[in-house]
Amino acid sequence: MAFLEARDVSVSFNSTTVIENVSFDIDMGDVVSIIGPNGSGKTTLVRAILGMIPYRGTIKLEGKPVGDQMSKIGYVPQRFDFDRTFPLSVWEFLNLYSENEPLREELAREFGVAGLAKSRLGSLSGGQLQRVLIISAMLNNPQLLILDEPTSGIDVDGVASFYEMLRHINTEHKQTIMLISHEINMVSTTATKVICLNKNIFCCGAPAKVLTDEMLAKLYTTHFERRDHGHEHG
Amino acid sequence: MDELLRLLTYPFVQRAIVAGIFSGALLSILGIFVILRKMAFFSDGIAHTALAGVAIGLLLGHTPIVWAVIVGIFFAIAIYFLERRTELAPDSLIGILFTSSLALGVVLISLKSGYVPELNSYLFGNIITLNTAELRFIIPVSVALIAYLLVNYKKYIFICLNEELARLAGIKVERHKITLYILLAVSTILAIKMFGIVLVSALLIIPVSFGKLFARSAKSLLLVSICFAELIVIGGILLSLAFNLQTGPVIILTGTGLFAVGLVTRGRWRA
Repeated sequence: MAFLEARDVSVSFNSTTVIENVSFDIDMGDVVSIIGPNGSGKTTLVRAILGMIPYRGTIKLEGKPVGDQMSKIGYVPQRFDFDRTFPLSVWEFLNLYSENEPLREELAREFGVAGLAKSRLGSLSGGQLQRVLIISAMLNNPQLLILDEPTSGIDVDGVASFYEMLRHINTEHKQTIMLISHEINMVSTTATKVICLNKNIFCCGAPAKVLTDEMLAKLYTTHFERRDHGHEHG
Repeated sequence: MDELLRLLTYPFVQRAIVAGIFSGALLSILGIFVILRKMAFFSDGIAHTALAGVAIGLLLGHTPIVWAVIVGIFFAIAIYFLERRTELAPDSLIGILFTSSLALGVVLISLKSGYVPELNSYLFGNIITLNTAELRFIIPVSVALIAYLLVNYKKYIFICLNEELARLAGIKVERHKITLYILLAVSTILAIKMFGIVLVSALLIIPVSFGKLFARSAKSLLLVSICFAELIVIGGILLSLAFNLQTGPVIILTGTGLFAVGLVTRGRWRA
């Protein structure tokens, strides 16, 4: 039995179909990256898994409807919009998720934000905020961590250390990870599985197998050139 | 100084200070969510809708404030549902509803023959005219609402910060939001006899705006905002009595003056 199982998942807004008959399996311990051009339905798929939007089809976590097991999922959104002038400390923000102080302190030390405990949330840099958001998603010991474009707003050096952190979460915390990403090169070295999405699933499998120039060109429709460094956008 | 101490021995001054302390605490706590959710116009609008309720009460010969609370709750619920069911921007919706309610209040009051002396106290407030019965109503209601807000403070902070994440964390966001709308309506309207329809929303906004200048955490924001509200209410009552001025406006001006001092000393100015 797959850890996460999606079968014939379709989402429509008014008369527009955003994703159609999407099916895939994720095994426990996988690092799964969803790639695809802008508007291809990546965020919509994640929002369907999280039960934030209505969908057709079935999504099961460990064989049971995912909606009944939201406590097993940690989520880091693409954009975290909030009033940056509001005086909320990092500690207070994490306390909104869980009052488990020992775990909070342990994760804060592990992710290098222990020194920011009393800082205002709004004063953090993009990279620091991203780490705090990941800790918030991990505070309830989820089995599946979902990250929606987690590196948007982080510089190139920060992106490399972010993927290093993901590998650490996957190996040390034994968490299954699903992320939406545009960094094809980082994905190819970090993910154990890639789902290529553009309304339908174009490919699904190990990066070495599916991330071919032909597949990427087909997925992104326009000419795609793999680069050794930098940021790739569809 | 002796004159001030003598003033404090008068029962009407004691009632005003006690009512001001409870209302100030309640409004400043609610103000945190009003500021964080950018609902200042909503609270101002709800206060203005009270006029229709006051007018109904005056026409029927019933307690105007009870009718004002009923009308306020009706408008709070109407705004909550219309925000979701229409494509109108919330500020347009609030603008339409509160001006209509205000207009209805004016029309209804014009139906009552003769001069309506109570109207002025509802428009601009008169905390020193509170009687013991009103005080006995204000204190338990304020205590109950403050207790509810403090118990749920964390949840409301989470909802105000990011609704989507709060929902995923298992918080019943919609239930808490409509409760906040109703509490805001009840608290604002209960305070109009003290601070006035036109001025009451200042008690929601000024203490928290001052608190934001100094607080580094949500906990310290709560403490600073409540202390500031108490300071301006007590200070404003005593100043208004000392200089024989109307109390509500003096409370607000005291707050504005102290906020201006805070802004100059701690303000984060744009470059």
